[in-house]
Amino acid sequence: MLFFSYFKDLVGREVTVELKNDLAIRGTLHSVDQYLNIKLENTRVVDQDKYPHMLSVRNCFIRGSVVRYVQLPPEGVDIELLHDATRREARGG
Amino acid sequence: MGLGVREIRCGGEPVLDTENGEELMRVQAGVDIALGNRPPESTGTLYITTRQVIWLSDADNTRRGYAVDFLSISLHAVSRDPDAYPIPCLYTQIDTDAGEDHDSDNSDSDSNHVQDLSNIREMRLIPSDPSQLDSLFEIFCDCAELNPEPTDEEEGEEHDWIFSADQMQDDQAEEEGYIPHNPNNTIGQSNGNHDLARTVLQLQINDKRFEDAEEIEDDRDGTRH
Repeated sequence: MLFFSYFKDLVGREVTVELKNDLAIRGTLHSVDQYLNIKLENTRVVDQDKYPHMLSVRNCFIRGSVVRYVQLPPEGVDIELLHDATRREARGG
Repeated sequence: MGLGVREIRCGGEPVLDTENGEELMRVQAGVDIALGNRPPESTGTLYITTRQVIWLSDADNTRRGYAVDFLSISLHAVSRDPDAYPIPCLYTQIDTDAGEDHDSDNSDSDSNHVQDLSNIREMRLIPSDPSQLDSLFEIFCDCAELNPEPTDEEEGEEHDWIFSADQMQDDQAEEEGYIPHNPNNTIGQSNGNHDLARTVLQLQINDKRFEDAEEIEDDRDGTRH
């Protein structure tokens, strides 16, 4: 649940979601659920030459299980908060 | 149940696995389908269930069509830009069992009428009424959420416990009339159905089990000392 809460705090920010099939989509994080399914708005494909047909898509839903990485905005990373949260999670709290 | 698009045939309405809770969410008539780079096939009816997307052609008597589980749908989006695709459509990416080997050219194997769908990684659903696209998109979102990954790294031995406890919950719900009676759901039977409620339940049950175990140990320690 740690990452779920964490990503919820990033709603409204610009992220890049990299899928396991190498497709990378940049967009505004619209919502995320407990399975880390991700909805993006104002999307654009990072490698447009490889995936030209995705160009037009404005918003999309990405299945959590196919996400490899989520690149976060640096200002969205609160290290102190993450430290605390991961410690709590490790304690099983 | 493999990943990817399956070819199906059925006489009338698609048969749902209602015993395991599969429900019809939406029926949309007048939908064309385009698999991969193939030309669109027209026209058919789209059935969206809590577990899968089924498209059946209206043309045949024995209705030919395709089905794909929500578990296999990696991504979906509404495509409206004519540069990307000439007709507004719901664009989906499909996760398949096949490797990334695009070179094996078996696209023209229709001669013996056995289609190889394992290399289909994209599916476009083209409703004749484009105003339906947004609501179709939302239904796909809802259904995706109903189909999380089957518990991946869980300790296999615990499944009996989980399912029996789970089953008690189901029985309770049945008495209250929420879930239709299902004689096949015997205690301890693993049916491989992991919907949202079950996954959450499993987690909770796991937690309780661990807590109890610790408490018992604590108690024993307490009596000894």
